[in-house]
Amino acid sequence: MNFFDNLAMGFGVALTPLNLFYAFVGVFLGTVIGVLPGIGPMTGIALLIPITFGLPPTSAIILMAGIYYGAMYGGSTTSILVNAPGESSSVVTCFDGFQMAKKGRAGPALAAAAIGSFIAGTFATLMLMLIGPWIAAFALNFGPPEYFALMFAGLTVVTSLAGRSLVKALLATTIGLAIATIGIDLQSGVPRYTFGNPEMLDGLEFLVVAIGLFAVSEVIVNLSDMRQAVQERLSIKGGLWLNAEDWRRAIPAFTRGTLSGFFVGGIAGAGAAVASFVSYGLEKKMSKYKDELGSGAIEGVAGPEAANNAAAGGAMIHLLCLGIPGSGTTAIMLGALLMLGLQPGPLLFQQNPQFVWGLIASMYVGNVMLLVLNLPLVGMWVKILDIPLYLLIVFIILFSFLGVYTMNNSVQDLWLMVVFGVIGYLLRRFDIPASPIILGMVLGDLMEQAMRQSLMISDGNLGIFVTRPISLTLLLIAVVSITNPYWKHIGRGLRKLLGAA
Amino acid sequence: MKEERFASIALFLFAAAYLAMALLGIPEPSVRQVLGPEAFPRVIGALMVLLAGLYVLQTFRGAASEDEERAAVIGADEKLGTLFDFKTVATMLGLMLAYAFLFEPLGYPIATLLMFCTSVAVLDRRHWVRDLIIALFASFGLYFVFSFLLRVQLPAGPLRLLGL
Repeated sequence: MNFFDNLAMGFGVALTPLNLFYAFVGVFLGTVIGVLPGIGPMTGIALLIPITFGLPPTSAIILMAGIYYGAMYGGSTTSILVNAPGESSSVVTCFDGFQMAKKGRAGPALAAAAIGSFIAGTFATLMLMLIGPWIAAFALNFGPPEYFALMFAGLTVVTSLAGRSLVKALLATTIGLAIATIGIDLQSGVPRYTFGNPEMLDGLEFLVVAIGLFAVSEVIVNLSDMRQAVQERLSIKGGLWLNAEDWRRAIPAFTRGTLSGFFVGGIAGAGAAVASFVSYGLEKKMSKYKDELGSGAIEGVAGPEAANNAAAGGAMIHLLCLGIPGSGTTAIMLGALLMLGLQPGPLLFQQNPQFVWGLIASMYVGNVMLLVLNLPLVGMWVKILDIPLYLLIVFIILFSFLGVYTMNNSVQDLWLMVVFGVIGYLLRRFDIPASPIILGMVLGDLMEQAMRQSLMISDGNLGIFVTRPISLTLLLIAVVSITNPYWKHIGRGLRKLLGAA
Repeated sequence: MKEERFASIALFLFAAAYLAMALLGIPEPSVRQVLGPEAFPRVIGALMVLLAGLYVLQTFRGAASEDEERAAVIGADEKLGTLFDFKTVATMLGLMLAYAFLFEPLGYPIATLLMFCTSVAVLDRRHWVRDLIIALFASFGLYFVFSFLLRVQLPAGPLRLLGL
């Protein structure tokens, strides 16, 4: 089948009333989650996974992907109007967005954010469509050593970008990997770390840990400090559109943001938050109006908002073509797909084209829906902030319980969830990042299997990982990403040594 | 920070226990394999012990290498304030445990209604009429949505006697 047949088939899937409905529900909920501070896309998707249990996998991924990129749109609204980012990838948007709003230019700021998100989201979907099949075809040649190296690299890139301290981030990753070893070992049938409890044989349920670590711990964080800060909320004055001058300045920023976001967040797998920061840095270096940045320059909104959407779309490439999540959010999506009995990866394009192309087509549709939701209806979203915090807390508790219980009808899972909530709170308090734990947990099993299969091929020789070029390259990427914070010191030390000699 | 020392030691003990079990507690499989079920946990366990050890060292020397500039670039979570409202958190945690305990015996609608109303009473009771209506929707309303629209079975509790 050629490209256009595939795309036509994809739209055939995406435009069925049911899938249109799920795409709409996804982007709608995504925007809500983006607007609400505290609930990020990770918590949001984890909480809503139970809704997808009854759905066919295609509808489920359309819904989840909608939440993911919808959250990228919604996050900017509160950044601009309230100076409170809805989630981490919208933090930079506050810098210039809120300043613009203060000067009475909230309309153009919101429009720049929405249009930038739309351009970038559409570009990322286009790229997913154009290069996705190539990457999948390339990855078809991967054997277990390459897969092991790929997962190792993915894990180290995410770890190296999580939190303030590398030791803590690495520790979190190993905890995740350790959790993954609980349960029956698939290759030998030996139970590990089950303590004789039959419910432990399947291992810890990923959703229990995810909802505990993200949703329940968020509840505790909010409860521990309930004094609601009174926030200055700016209203939208004037038109919600860009004038000629705005367009002239925003278009180069859109372009830079889209490209950098796609490469940093999508190809390199660094996530949407990093992508938005990189884009802001790029504007500071390259924009003609760099002196205005920080005091309400439209570039400071246009660039990062394009970047975070390009990154969110680009992250789908890793998930769909390689089956390896590049961020906490896509790790949760992978976990959900595995629960639905679908293994994403290079074979997906061949075995399940309806799924892949349906998703791609729905992403085009979803981005158009988001543009409509976020431009004319932007005033509506700000009202969400009127929901009192305590009601939000009660609802998060309720949905956590519903989600975890409906999975296995197990009360033991509920206890475990609360325990992981407390653990998650403690981790937050000690600044140990939680997303590497989830990633380690999702990848742990796959990584162990790949490692053992590799060593079976090589009859126990570890050299198999470094003698194959692709696997060696990936391992080198891993080493570089994990050591890069120390380069500065190593360089300084070397120079000192050389200078002294 | 004193409490972080406890945390790091607890993590170290956890790591050590994990490693000990990997070394001693994983049964031999009946079929010999190139790499048995114990190998991966041993590697992870050793790494975890090493990292937790480093963490303990850092908390005791007080010189954790934290790079704020880098944290800003990668968009790390904000640090939590030290403020901690113990009473509210403990009450709500107790409530969550009670909710889990009563989830099956009372059924979803009744347990949820109780949880919702108690939470509102603990947290903010100024708008109780509005909140009671929301609570009814969240308990009985959602129960019907899940059972009849989404076809997801939730525990009915005593309501089963009414044939719902």
